[in-house]
Amino acid sequence: MTSLMASKAAAPVERAAPPKKKTLARRLVPYGYLSPTATLIVVLMVVPIVMVISYSFRDNVIVQDNSVFAGFANYTKVLTDPDFLTAIKNTAVFISVSTAAHLVLGLAFAMMLNTPLLGGVTKAIFRIVYILPWLFTIAVIAVIWRLLLDPSGVVNYVLHTLGLIEQGVNWLGDPNKALWAVTFINIWSGYPFFMISLLAGLQGIPGDLYEAAAVDGTNWLQRFRHVTLPQLRPVIISMAVLDLIWTSQQFALIWMTTGGGPLHVTEMLSTYTYKQAFSEYEFSTASAAAVIVLLLTMILAFFYVRQQRER
Amino acid sequence: MAVRATRLKRVIGAVTAAATVAFVAACGSSGSGDSASGGAVTLEFAQWWGAELPAGELDKIVNDFTTQNPNIKIKLLSAPYASTKQQLVTGAASKTLPDVVGLDGAWVNDFAKQGAITDMSKLMTDASYDPSQLASQIQLDGKTYMIPVVNFVYPLFVNKDLLAKAGVAKTPTTRTEFLDAAKKISALGGNVKGWALPLDTAVPNGIQNDVMSWLWASGGSMLQDGKPALQTPAVKSTVEYVKSLNDAGVIAPGSLTMKEQDKVEKFTNGQVGMMIDSLAHINLIKKNQPNLKFEVAALPAEDGYTGKRGIPYASWGIGISNSTKHKAEAFKFVSYLMSKDTNAKLSTIANGFPGNKTAQPDFGDSDPLFKTAFDIYQQGYPANEFVGLPKSEDLMRSFDEQLQLVLTGKTSVDDALAKAQESWSSVIG
Amino acid sequence: MATMKTRRTLAKAGVLTGLVLGGLFAGLPVLWMLSTSFKNNGEVFQNPPRLLTKGFSLDAYREILGNSTQLRFFLNSYIVAGSVTVLTLLVALLAGFAFSRFTFPLQKTINAVIVSVQAVPPITLVIPYFGLVVALGLYNTYPGLILTHMVFTLPYAIIMITAYLNTLPRELDESVKVDGGTSWTALWRILVPISVPGLIAVGVYTFMISWNEYLFALTLTRTDDMRTVPIGIQLLMGQHSYEWNQMMAMSILGSIPVLVLFLLFQKRFIGGLTAGAVKA
Repeated sequence: MTSLMASKAAAPVERAAPPKKKTLARRLVPYGYLSPTATLIVVLMVVPIVMVISYSFRDNVIVQDNSVFAGFANYTKVLTDPDFLTAIKNTAVFISVSTAAHLVLGLAFAMMLNTPLLGGVTKAIFRIVYILPWLFTIAVIAVIWRLLLDPSGVVNYVLHTLGLIEQGVNWLGDPNKALWAVTFINIWSGYPFFMISLLAGLQGIPGDLYEAAAVDGTNWLQRFRHVTLPQLRPVIISMAVLDLIWTSQQFALIWMTTGGGPLHVTEMLSTYTYKQAFSEYEFSTASAAAVIVLLLTMILAFFYVRQQRER
Repeated sequence: MAVRATRLKRVIGAVTAAATVAFVAACGSSGSGDSASGGAVTLEFAQWWGAELPAGELDKIVNDFTTQNPNIKIKLLSAPYASTKQQLVTGAASKTLPDVVGLDGAWVNDFAKQGAITDMSKLMTDASYDPSQLASQIQLDGKTYMIPVVNFVYPLFVNKDLLAKAGVAKTPTTRTEFLDAAKKISALGGNVKGWALPLDTAVPNGIQNDVMSWLWASGGSMLQDGKPALQTPAVKSTVEYVKSLNDAGVIAPGSLTMKEQDKVEKFTNGQVGMMIDSLAHINLIKKNQPNLKFEVAALPAEDGYTGKRGIPYASWGIGISNSTKHKAEAFKFVSYLMSKDTNAKLSTIANGFPGNKTAQPDFGDSDPLFKTAFDIYQQGYPANEFVGLPKSEDLMRSFDEQLQLVLTGKTSVDDALAKAQESWSSVIG
Repeated sequence: MATMKTRRTLAKAGVLTGLVLGGLFAGLPVLWMLSTSFKNNGEVFQNPPRLLTKGFSLDAYREILGNSTQLRFFLNSYIVAGSVTVLTLLVALLAGFAFSRFTFPLQKTINAVIVSVQAVPPITLVIPYFGLVVALGLYNTYPGLILTHMVFTLPYAIIMITAYLNTLPRELDESVKVDGGTSWTALWRILVPISVPGLIAVGVYTFMISWNEYLFALTLTRTDDMRTVPIGIQLLMGQHSYEWNQMMAMSILGSIPVLVLFLLFQKRFIGGLTAGAVKA
């Protein structure tokens, strides 16, 4: 009781006005700041998402005016479709390998670009070169890589001249290679995001931490493991979660290079959903697949938010 | 201090409001379908044709229509070809389809079922239009939903230089001759192969143009009484033939994800000796590779086949939206495009064959290859059984997937055909 | 002493080699794009492939820069991306401020919802979203596209700005409150001026996302006077063949504004992401 009164006495000027009125108004302030975001997202996102969810419980949506309530039938259909299960497997491989590679490459490039060994101009030039993949729209990236990876294209020509491979290797058309080829293209187009964030992170690590470590007689690798990585851990985790979510949405890249083939080896959740919707005109099952993707991703999203709190 | 804060708040509020007003004012047209100003009607025509025609030609044709019909203006809308179908489905779902739409025959069944396009038979009756001049109409339950405006046939293209180099005397006319020629061309080495087979599953037209064409060239059919019949000897021999071409190593690598555009590029660059392709590419090939000597021929048929040969085709079709408020005017425009002179002109500049039976394309200025192709067309019959089928893209894709399994040795021809028959039966009951 | 210098030179050489190899990895496809933009369409698939060909010409660039429809695409992209950037920064700033400086019920849920809305496959969202936009009368308008892009860029912007604001000590805004100011004052007079580098970082990334977006730009526009650069590029992919040189030329031309933005704001960009990222 006494401590409570003491703390109240110590509180600043704000207690001047009548407590009840001020508290309510003050409680609403954060919501006020959130209102533009909330309005936009509720109107433009939540409404369509709710519609998609409702589609998933009906049959014959969109193609016919009178749709019929179908319970969980669409979900059963989707979850028992072997193509869907293949898509989940491929997507899992695709996003984990992509994100991991983005991380490794991003970190490696960031550290090289952060080196004190080279001049500012050199580093600036390389910075420009390294963000180039970021600048182009995905359709162009897909198209140019198709050209490069064509059996009679540049990549094969160069590798063959260097004596590394035989003639006419089929990168995108071979069921054994297609998934890796597509993952490689995605890695190329996505690493700048990690690189820039990690570069910024690296520059934010206080220099005295490194000096202290150097004084302790550690070598480069040990400094990396015990100073750099722990300091960067928050960035890495945030970026990884975001990248996993964004990569799972990747559609245009797959569609324009392999269309989900050959033999479904590059079939992703995104291409599966697209085919359901616009080829089979089964918007109900497409919506069910979308909701399943949403649920799976929300697990990731909640993990991310929880991890935010812990700081 | 508090006063200054309030003023700052007001200033920011005012700036934001002003900016918003500016943005709204800067916004462009709201693009409603048709506006009437003193009786004039504007029709929107969505197509991908303009990009495929010489610059400005489609505008000219459309402006001529307005000259003849001063109350009706036509606004041309274009969209990337690859996204056309998806955009039409989306537009149909919210009843914002443009008044007149360019269509592919493969989409008709599904759009008609969706209620997106209107019954043109009724419009024809209303306008007292004589449909006998039309080479074909795409119908569902006896009602016409699409009229092919220009037809593009897919003959066999042959690189004469490569044939000569490979020691092949004449253009193959039977399957055995074709296999032989392809083997000899592939034996030339380098990156050269005899044939290209685009089996990309994203846009599986290869099944229609490059696989089933062999079936139709020998008078075969994949349907029986409108129902799928894929386990017949004719279909089996077609698939086995394609497999034999693959086993002989004469098909250009990358087949499983090759797109139609890639096939044309490879032929143009002399990497492929023979291909089945659209007539519309003749000018394209000549433009990109003026030195390429090539000719067109009828597709090889089964050895000993002497009947009429089916030749695959794709069309630029036209339909009218079900939600348009100006159906009569829209049909006027359609009949204009199908009229003898306009249709002939349009076909000539598109390098296709007219959808109007009485129209004669002008072969005077164009490549002699067109006349050859026209003769082939007249000697055979147009064959594309996918037109008018429901979910035809899905049908092509399921067949494609089975064919890919056959070509990679993962399944037998009989099993593949049985599976395909099963998939097709679930779609075309 | 000599060993140290040798070690240093070796290290320098090592890093430089690494940078060059990485640079080749990053830059070769772009170099190929550039080379293709100067070729004739017939030479694109040539074998063996050549970087510079006989048909070298600037025709593709001339075609694009001389075509009023294409130029209109560039203008539209600038207007949309620019507006999206400014508005997203504004809205995300307010939201980030709320998340960073206040504790209120449902805070974590709202945060999670904002992150999760990115999770729905856009392709399934297209049809209901399109119907909604038509119903709101925003079809084929700038605001329709601007608001749509904002919805895509807000989640990332809010996450980054929240994290960034979290690194700024609360004492700063507390001092304003002690003087009797409101949170609004604290935001605009104290926090924003310090946050400019971070805001620029988020701004550049937002601009890039909006500039390169295709699916909704295509679906929500109908006429050429509303369409953007990615659609312009796709229009060059015809039914029968691609206009390779024009496609590449347009991509290169389209990447220049973003490159310029990056060049201008590099230093502040790198510094700006620092605080936000490390504590994120």
